Amino acid sequence: MSTILKCENLCKKFGKKQILNNVSLEINQGDILGFIGPNGAGKTTTIKLILGLQGITSGKVTINGFDVEKQFTKAIEKVGAIVENPDMYMYLTGRANLKLVANLYKGITTERIDEVVKLVKLENRIDDKVSKYSLGMRQRLGIAQAILHKPNLLILDEPTNGLDPEGIKEMRELLIELAQKENMGILISSHNLAELDNFCTKVCIIKNGSVIETSDIQKIKQSDDLDTKVFEVDNTKEVEKILLENSDNRDTPFHPDNNSTDKKLLAQNVEIISSTKFKVHAQKENIPEIVKKLVENDIKIYEIEKEEKSLEDAFFEKTGGNVIG
Amino acid sequence: MGKLIKNELIKLFKKKSIYIALIVVLGFMIFSNFMYKSTNNVMYNSYIYSEQTLNYLQEELDKLDPKKTSDIGMYVDIKSQIELYELMKQYENGSWQQQIINQDLPTYFKEKCMYEYGEEKDLQKAQEAQNKIDEIKQKLDTDDWEYFAQLELQQATEKLANIEEQIKNTDDKKTLLSLNQEKEATLIDKTIAEYRINKGIKYGQDYLNQAIEDYRYAAQDIARLESSEKELSYEEQKRYNESLNLREKSKYIIENNVDLNEMNLRRVLENFFTEYGIFVIAILVMIAGTIVSEEFNKGTIKLLLVKPYSRTKILLSKFITSMLMIIFVVLIMGIMQLFVGGVIFGFDSLSAPVVEYNFNTNSLQEINVLVYFLIQFLAQLPMFILLATLAFALGTIFANSALAITISLLGYIAANIINQLAMSYNIKFLEYFVTMNWDLSQYLFGNLPNMEGMTMSFSIITCIVYFLIMVIPTLIIFKKKNIKNI
Repeated sequence: MSTILKCENLCKKFGKKQILNNVSLEINQGDILGFIGPNGAGKTTTIKLILGLQGITSGKVTINGFDVEKQFTKAIEKVGAIVENPDMYMYLTGRANLKLVANLYKGITTERIDEVVKLVKLENRIDDKVSKYSLGMRQRLGIAQAILHKPNLLILDEPTNGLDPEGIKEMRELLIELAQKENMGILISSHNLAELDNFCTKVCIIKNGSVIETSDIQKIKQSDDLDTKVFEVDNTKEVEKILLENSDNRDTPFHPDNNSTDKKLLAQNVEIISSTKFKVHAQKENIPEIVKKLVENDIKIYEIEKEEKSLEDAFFEKTGGNVIG
Repeated sequence: MGKLIKNELIKLFKKKSIYIALIVVLGFMIFSNFMYKSTNNVMYNSYIYSEQTLNYLQEELDKLDPKKTSDIGMYVDIKSQIELYELMKQYENGSWQQQIINQDLPTYFKEKCMYEYGEEKDLQKAQEAQNKIDEIKQKLDTDDWEYFAQLELQQATEKLANIEEQIKNTDDKKTLLSLNQEKEATLIDKTIAEYRINKGIKYGQDYLNQAIEDYRYAAQDIARLESSEKELSYEEQKRYNESLNLREKSKYIIENNVDLNEMNLRRVLENFFTEYGIFVIAILVMIAGTIVSEEFNKGTIKLLLVKPYSRTKILLSKFITSMLMIIFVVLIMGIMQLFVGGVIFGFDSLSAPVVEYNFNTNSLQEINVLVYFLIQFLAQLPMFILLATLAFALGTIFANSALAITISLLGYIAANIINQLAMSYNIKFLEYFVTMNWDLSQYLFGNLPNMEGMTMSFSIITCIVYFLIMVIPTLIIFKKKNIKNI
C-alpha cells in the first residue's frame, strides 16, 4: 500500500509560542486516521499546515509524493478538505457551490455532481440557498464539495459537528466505503471520541502540539496487559474483603506454585459497582484464582464479562484529561 | 486563471449588494434628471420686476417728506425707481421690453424726478425727459427691438471713432493705455450689437441673451488679461483659457443658434463623470474592498486556497475581476443614464455634438457625445483603477472590508481638498502626489494641467508607480499569509 500523506517533524511557531512540535504522521491508501486531541492541542493547525493554509516553520509535508510548500498545486490536486467549519457561500444554492468547485477542476460533469449529491443525501435540498441549511446539512455539503473531484486524500476537520446520530452513522458508512472502495486515505479530526471508535483504522493522539501516540486502533486500546472483568454475583458485600484479604495474607499458600509476589497481585483493584456487580482489574492468569476464591466463599457467580476499553478511556489515559495549555 | 475569474464573476453577480447599490443610483438618477428638466424652465426666469419690491418702495416713499431738504435726495431716488417699476409692470414679465426699460431708462426717470421734485425744480427739463421716455415707450409698444440694437451699434461706432480720434491726438502713455482698454470694451459692445442685428436676437431672457452676456463677460476678461503688462501667472493663464473657452462656446451658441447649456440627454451624458463619479467610485470600492476580505471573514477563503491554483493566481483573478467591474459599473450606469435621460428628456439631443475648445488647434471641436463619454472615461480610468486598487489592497492586507471601503472613500474626498490646496498655494512637491495626477481629463483638449510643467506621461508614470506600490506588497503579504482561525 502506497503512502498518500506524510508529515515529517512538523513544527509551527507563532512568534515565540510553539504551536506544533515535531508532529509526524502518515496515511496510506485505505487508512482512516483518527486525529484526536483536546481543544487547543494543534489539530486544526496541523491540518492547515498539511493544506498549505499556513506556513511551515520547519518540517515537511508530502502529499502523493509532492512537497506541499514547493509544489503546492500538484500536491493539493487530489486532496479534498473541510477545515474548521464547512464554510460555504451562504448566498448561493448548494448546487451553485458545487458548480463553483467543479469549475476549478477538469472533467467534473453534471452527472458527477448529481452522484455526489445523492451520496451525501442532499438531493431534496440541493437547490436551496445554503443560508437555509442546518449545520448538519452544511457538513454534508462540505463533504460533497470535498469528494467531488475524486481525491485520494480526504481531510475532514470535525466533520460530525452538527450531525444527528443518523447522519453520523451515514457519514461513517460513507467514509468507510470511500476508504475501502476508492482506496482513499482519510484524515479525520474529532474530539467526539465515541464517533471514531470502531471506525478508524489508525489513531494519532496529539496534546500540547506534540504527538503522544500513533498506532493502530487495537493497539491503543490494549496498551496495557491488564484485563478488566465485570462480575455479576448475588452479593458484593464480602467481595472486596475476600479478594484483598487474600492478597494480603501471605501465610496462606492456596497454590503451591505461586510465589508471594504473585499472590499480592491477584487483583490489582476491586471496584464495587452495585450490590450485585463489581469490577476487577487483574492479570489474565489470575482470573481462575479469583473465581475459585469467590466460589470457596459461597458467592454465586452469574456472569463474568470482559470490559472492552473504549477509545475515550485510552484517550484520557494518554492525554491525562482535557487540559488546554 | 480564466476559470478562477469566471467563478469570481459568478460569486459577485449572485450577491445582492451590487444590485441594491445600482438601484439606489438609479433612483438618484431619476430624481436628478427630473430636477434638471425643471431647471430648464426656470433657468432664464429671473424677474427684474416684482410686485413686492414695488409695494416696499411705496411704503418707504410714504415715510419721506419731499419738503424736507434732508429727505429730498432719497425721495427722488425712490420715486424714480417706482416710476420705472410701474412702467415695467405694463409689460409681460421677462419680456424684452422690461430688459430695455431696466437697461436704458433709469437715467431718464432719475432726471425727470430730479427736476420735478428736487431742489432745483425745472419743469421744462422734466418734460424733456418725459418726452424721451415716451419716445422709447412708443418703440417698446410697437415691438421694435431692432431700434435699440441699431442704437447700440450706432453708439458703439460713434464712440469707437471718437476714441480712435483721441488715440491719434495723444502721446501720453498712460492715457493711451486707458484709451486702448476703452477701445477694446467698445469693440466688444459693437460686436455684440452686430450679432444682435445679424442674428436677429431679440432682447429678453433666453439662452441667446445668456450667451451674449457670457460673451461680453469672457471677452472683457480676455481683453483685460491680454492688456496686462506683467506676465500672466499660471492661475491667470488658466483663467484666460477658461474665458477663451467660454467666449468661443458663447460665439458658437450665437452663430449656430443652439442651446449648448440646455439640460438634455446629451448634456447629462457629457457631465456623467462629474455628476456620478462618486457613485461609480463608491460601488467600485465596495466591490474591490470586499472581494478578498469577505472571503476571509466568512471563512470561504479556505475553500479557495485548497484548490490546485497558486495564491498569486487566486489573488490576481480577484484583482482582475475588480478591474473588469470598473468597465461593468461605468457601462451599466451609462446605460441607466441613457435610458433614464432618454425617457425624461427624449433621445433627440444625442445627434447634437459636444462642443469643446481645443487649445492645441485654437478652434472649437465638435465631438460625438458617445465618443466624448469614452474619452472622459479613459481620462478618469487611472483614478478608478487606483481607488479600486487601494480598496483591494486594504481589504486583502487587513481582511477588513469596512476599513477598506471607508479609507478609500475618504481618500477620494481628501484628494479634492489636497488638490485644491496644492493648486491654490502652488505647493510644488505635491505634483508627485497621486491625486494630482490620476485625473487625466486635465490634459484633454490642450488644457493647462493642475500645475505648471506637468505632462500626461509624467502623470501616467506617477500613477503606475503608486499602483505598483500598492499591488506588490499586497501580493507578497497574501502569499505569506497564515490563514488563522475564524
